[in-house]
Amino acid sequence: MPDVSRRDFLTLLRDGLLAGSGLLALGGLTRFLSYQTEPPPTTEFDLGPAANYPIGSRTRLPDVPAILIHNASGFSALSLVCTHLGCTVEQKVDGSICPCHGSRYDEQGNVLRGPANRPLRALRVEPNAGGHLILHTD
Amino acid sequence: MRPSFFHHLHPPTIPAAQAQWRYTLGAGGIAVMLVLVLLVTGALEMFFYIPTPDQAGPSIQTIAFLVPFGGLVRNLHYWAAQALIVVAAVHLLRVVFTAAYVPPRRFNYLLGLALLVLSLLLDFTGYALRWDEGVRWALVAGTNLLKTVPWMGGGLYALAVGGPEPGGATLIRFYAWHVFGLVLPLVILSAWHLFRVRRDGGIAVPPPTARATAERISRNELVRREALAALIAGVALLALALWRAAPLAPPITIGSVGIAEARAPWFLLWVQQLLRWGDPFWAGVFVPLALTVGLALIPYLLPGPPRSQLGRWFPPGGRLAQIITGAIALLMIGLTVLALYP
Repeated sequence: MPDVSRRDFLTLLRDGLLAGSGLLALGGLTRFLSYQTEPPPTTEFDLGPAANYPIGSRTRLPDVPAILIHNASGFSALSLVCTHLGCTVEQKVDGSICPCHGSRYDEQGNVLRGPANRPLRALRVEPNAGGHLILHTD
Repeated sequence: MRPSFFHHLHPPTIPAAQAQWRYTLGAGGIAVMLVLVLLVTGALEMFFYIPTPDQAGPSIQTIAFLVPFGGLVRNLHYWAAQALIVVAAVHLLRVVFTAAYVPPRRFNYLLGLALLVLSLLLDFTGYALRWDEGVRWALVAGTNLLKTVPWMGGGLYALAVGGPEPGGATLIRFYAWHVFGLVLPLVILSAWHLFRVRRDGGIAVPPPTARATAERISRNELVRREALAALIAGVALLALALWRAAPLAPPITIGSVGIAEARAPWFLLWVQQLLRWGDPFWAGVFVPLALTVGLALIPYLLPGPPRSQLGRWFPPGGRLAQIITGAIALLMIGLTVLALYP
């Protein structure tokens, strides 16, 4: 066993305790600052009666934000949140474009031009018992 | 004349050659003056600004349009903040291009770099306090960048945003960081930075044997020059504040129709341009972080010139550091120009 003088040992102990206290405080601070005061955002949107959306319509839902598509195969919805860094994409005639970094998507949400590398997220749309369309974002 | 407190902050005399504008550019001193302007105007804004999503916009309009001289105070705060970034960057370039970072000034170089990073964070948090459509997408993209950091991204996002998406909790967090959490370290590190200038022997000068002349100026003359610089910078700042008002757009409303183009604040345009090409983590987090660390390591890794080459621009012994830093600066300017004129 190597020789450790009493002074060296106490110095080591002091430095260790200081470092440990610092780390504990940092951990506590992180937990303190990480507390979330806001409830998670709603993941269900009541879109009203399905009859409001005739076949062939594409309706922008700014609150979600998403676009509701009604075509021959039924209802579907596309999120308008850019998959690159989360800006809301702008609707154009033949698809959409992100104002932040210029990603382009076609009408089905597929990437036409980067930097995004994933298609716009497809969202679930289901009618409820009362005939209302419910959009799920989870 | 009996020296005042301000005179005592300065050494009794300094070599005349290194006291010239063309050597120091006066950048460090002007940065101090801008920080003082920011502290005063910022404190005044706190009397009216309300950090809630509903009240942020209206309270800024109260400051800008109703409070007597409120518009002037806000414009001075805005322009001083933008000028601080420019002046601090010029100061950094001056220090690298004159190799003033060599020992014993290595540590003070790090303090200065930390102050630049703090200034950028203060500028971004202050920008977000507008809580208007103009800052919306920069806030969304900027905070989403945190999520891309491997294994700790979610935690960083929760820490910065305080909720599942930018909202009221985010605004009050940014406010707390802006008026206190970042200002306190800025003030402490500024004082430390100034103290270290004196402790490290004042401004970087060659040893007495390598000087062209032995001429020196007194602290009275130095303070006179600093006061003159502060006066000129103050007039320029006032002119800017009267000429162009700080921007303010309609408040953020969920579901509002977006604007055609979403621009980052000017000092982050180069990152936005990188993000148009690259993966979010590499372009938006790794590159800016790596550049900062790279700059911090310059005095520790690259050979510095001998002391006899200090006190002038572009000493040959610091060539590599000059080329690397110059290239980084040109890259940032080039990317910014590209972002502005695509």
